[in-house]
Amino acid sequence: MKRLAAVVALLGLTAVTAACSGSGTPTNQSSSGGGGGGLFTTIDVNRPGIDASGPANPYNPKGNSFLGYNAMKLAWVKNHLTDPNQFYPGIAESWEIAPDNSAITIKLQPNNKWSDGKPVTAEDVRLSIGIAYTQGSTAFAITPGAAGAAADVEVVDDKTVKVTQDMTNPSSKFARGVLDTFVAPAHIWGSVLPADFWDKLKASRGEGADAEKAREEITALGEKIITFAPEKDVSAGPFILERVNPGEALLVKNKEFYNAANVAPDQVKFLNYTGNEQIWNYLISGKLDHAGFTAAPADVMNRIKQAPGTNIIKGFSPVAVGMAFNQTKKPYDNVHVRRGLAYLIDRAEVTKVASPEGGNAAVTTSGIHQKPAQEWLGAELNSLEPYNPDPAKAEEEFKQAGLQKKDGKWALADGSPWKVTMTAPSGFSDWISAQENIKGQLVEAGVDAEVVTVADYPLYLEEIAAGKYDVGFWLIALGPAPYDIYQRLYGASNGWTNVAGKIKHAEPGKSGNWMGGAEKVEVDGTEINPGELTGKLNSVSAEEAKPIMLQLAKAANQDLPVIQLWDYVNTQFTNTSRFTGFPEQESDLLRLPAGVWIQLGMVKKTP
Amino acid sequence: MTVIARRLAGHLARGIVMILVVATISFFIVRNIPGDPVAARYQKLLEQGMSPEAAERATAVMYGFLPEGTLWQQYTDYMAGLFRFDLGVSVTHPGSPVTSVLGEAAKWTVLPVLAGTLLSFLVGVIMGVYAAIKRSGKLGDFLAISGSLLHGVPQYVLALLMGAIFTTLIPILPQGGTADILFEPGFNAGYIGSLIEHATLPVVTYALASYGGWILAMKSSVVTVLGDDFILAAELRGMRRSIIFRYVARNAILPLFTILALSLGLLFGGAIFIEKIFNYPGLGFLLIDSVVNRDYALMGGAFLLITAAIIVANILADLFYTVIDPRVRSGEEASA
Repeated sequence: MKRLAAVVALLGLTAVTAACSGSGTPTNQSSSGGGGGGLFTTIDVNRPGIDASGPANPYNPKGNSFLGYNAMKLAWVKNHLTDPNQFYPGIAESWEIAPDNSAITIKLQPNNKWSDGKPVTAEDVRLSIGIAYTQGSTAFAITPGAAGAAADVEVVDDKTVKVTQDMTNPSSKFARGVLDTFVAPAHIWGSVLPADFWDKLKASRGEGADAEKAREEITALGEKIITFAPEKDVSAGPFILERVNPGEALLVKNKEFYNAANVAPDQVKFLNYTGNEQIWNYLISGKLDHAGFTAAPADVMNRIKQAPGTNIIKGFSPVAVGMAFNQTKKPYDNVHVRRGLAYLIDRAEVTKVASPEGGNAAVTTSGIHQKPAQEWLGAELNSLEPYNPDPAKAEEEFKQAGLQKKDGKWALADGSPWKVTMTAPSGFSDWISAQENIKGQLVEAGVDAEVVTVADYPLYLEEIAAGKYDVGFWLIALGPAPYDIYQRLYGASNGWTNVAGKIKHAEPGKSGNWMGGAEKVEVDGTEINPGELTGKLNSVSAEEAKPIMLQLAKAANQDLPVIQLWDYVNTQFTNTSRFTGFPEQESDLLRLPAGVWIQLGMVKKTP
Repeated sequence: MTVIARRLAGHLARGIVMILVVATISFFIVRNIPGDPVAARYQKLLEQGMSPEAAERATAVMYGFLPEGTLWQQYTDYMAGLFRFDLGVSVTHPGSPVTSVLGEAAKWTVLPVLAGTLLSFLVGVIMGVYAAIKRSGKLGDFLAISGSLLHGVPQYVLALLMGAIFTTLIPILPQGGTADILFEPGFNAGYIGSLIEHATLPVVTYALASYGGWILAMKSSVVTVLGDDFILAAELRGMRRSIIFRYVARNAILPLFTILALSLGLLFGGAIFIEKIFNYPGLGFLLIDSVVNRDYALMGGAFLLITAAIIVANILADLFYTVIDPRVRSGEEASA
């Protein structure tokens, strides 16, 4: 027993000593040129969980290549309201897009080197484009007839690459598809593509069994590429991976980076997280210099704001959430029911409860986020029905739908009870809060309602696509490209598929058509096919897109396949205690990782 | 063949059959969990503001690692792989064999849970003896009540409480991770100190959560032994109290060793909530992640590892008891 007691005492002493210690000497944090040095602490909001055994491979979802830090793209897409082809320089210093989008000529940064001292060349870009073909890229797609696919890649000189578009099915997003490409060093990654890769690619563009075989071989290479593990990280970005453990990753400054003189931090530390709660705790304790958008309830947000140095930057986020109806189910097949519900729901109240910091109540249902809606629709936006809360109008709509009101409660046309059943995935606190609030509003207006939560998001998506829910929430208005905005309303979920530029429509309830809307609708006395119009948006110019967008906005506004509830706000958390120079409010840099802000030389050490 | 060898052979045969049965059951349960992990990841990235094409790119590759073929084909492949210790490839860690992902996570579970179990066992046993001997006094009452209280509080409540106190109210311990990355890994004071510092909250929480069970079990066992005839005989013979105390402790601790051996079976799956709450990247953490992401191979592998550990622990407990308790050994030899 004495021995037992001694062991316990020793263990206790060790624990106490450990708890109180900050022993040891951390690796060098000395300051250097370029804005003051120091350690920049952050999280990768798009990738929870650090995998200590993950390779330094930007194509691997669990790899330890961090976008904007040690993983570089040709250029960085700006958060523009309407134009998908606006960029900040990355590996590319400049680019020239042909007026008809048929080609893009890319000039590389003249003085950029990989961290092992070798120059970044056009051959690196060519190899990276080859790799992109194996990864399901949009501009570098091997699917026959894919919109916006490249036809040829030409190395003009050591620092210039020209990529031409296959104009049989062009896309206005071609330049974006090209510039949004990772660049890997050919002298390290060269072995991942077979010597006959480009011949295979040529063969894959044909038809028949040989072409199919070539496509299969190229796709199979994708799996090999994401498992590729370079012996050490070789980066052309502002940082290089130094080491990683299951809880943290450490990156150090790359002195060969073209703009190293203006890169402030000497080191970057990525912290692990698995849920929003951990990010909140980091923010509350002021540990993070930057964190991307993370939904947080009001009380948590207040505590984050109180942390010394907290600075919240807000801007445009091209996403909105809509209350979507399954129109194969009664009474939601009746537009008057959907309109009646729209008149009953006070969207401002819903947003205030559900997403006070991360959303703005939708002004109306147009299918477009409010900010770009003004750009696309102009004054016509004001002509859309706003569906302001109006119980009298709701009653009128319900009566037109044939619903009956008995003892202050609405029932279906045949007198049977009606209950609005809304479904949300467990853990989506903002969606659940919104649905609970809507339920309260509906019940008060005499419409019975309930909220059902399902286990998690994968299950929710599977069941909503199978048409199991009457009403659910659905993300819409994904900008800035016009096609992306409307494909959420008039795409696969509503029966339309776009294969090689040909639009097909499936019957409601079949082939993923869970919204079950009509194939053709009448807008301003003209019959339109919303899916076909959406397909057209893929290839038309911005000016040509405007009248189409207006027709689709009117269709969405009158038919209400969804009730647009709130437009998301891009909320970025920064802390100015250690670094300053973060982007301004509404900056077009807000959807880019902080590594891009750092490499552009914006971020400086706080004096 | 000795008694122990015969017992071992029997246990191993039964254990292997049980593992195969559990592998089969868990395979079919796991594969029948509804939900599309790729679609969920895609939608999540959209919500975070990623463009549709970037989200598509980020998730498309996951399809290549999803299991293919009919359910029966998948099952036969899985069972065939099992005999080669090949549990398949993870979807959430694309291209990584499940065995290596589990191996990486296992070390961050085994060490804290083992430390927590042993710590709680040692403290609980000692306090249990005192609680039994002093059961009529205030110290005995206090120890018994503290044991009951801690035994009744769910592990996750304790973890949340400890986290709130030591990372927020009195922020002296780290909020997660295994060690500060700024320390060079190796046998140096800074790195080891950082490892211990990061493990303190999970270990202490686990020890506190288990302590109540040990103290109550030990107290009950000691009280039972105190009433045995051989203790009365020892007292009547005038033996010293310290010798009697040793008799009591040795006999009372026997059932607890069995429970300890069984507890060690939970080494791989015993701290799911603690790991999740303290952001400590062990197996429990990995298991939750694999369920959320419908990583079938990883889920199946984690379940299998936890099951196998419990089965092995059962076998060891049984053998251990045979070794340490002469009554069991002699009984078996007599019947043989």
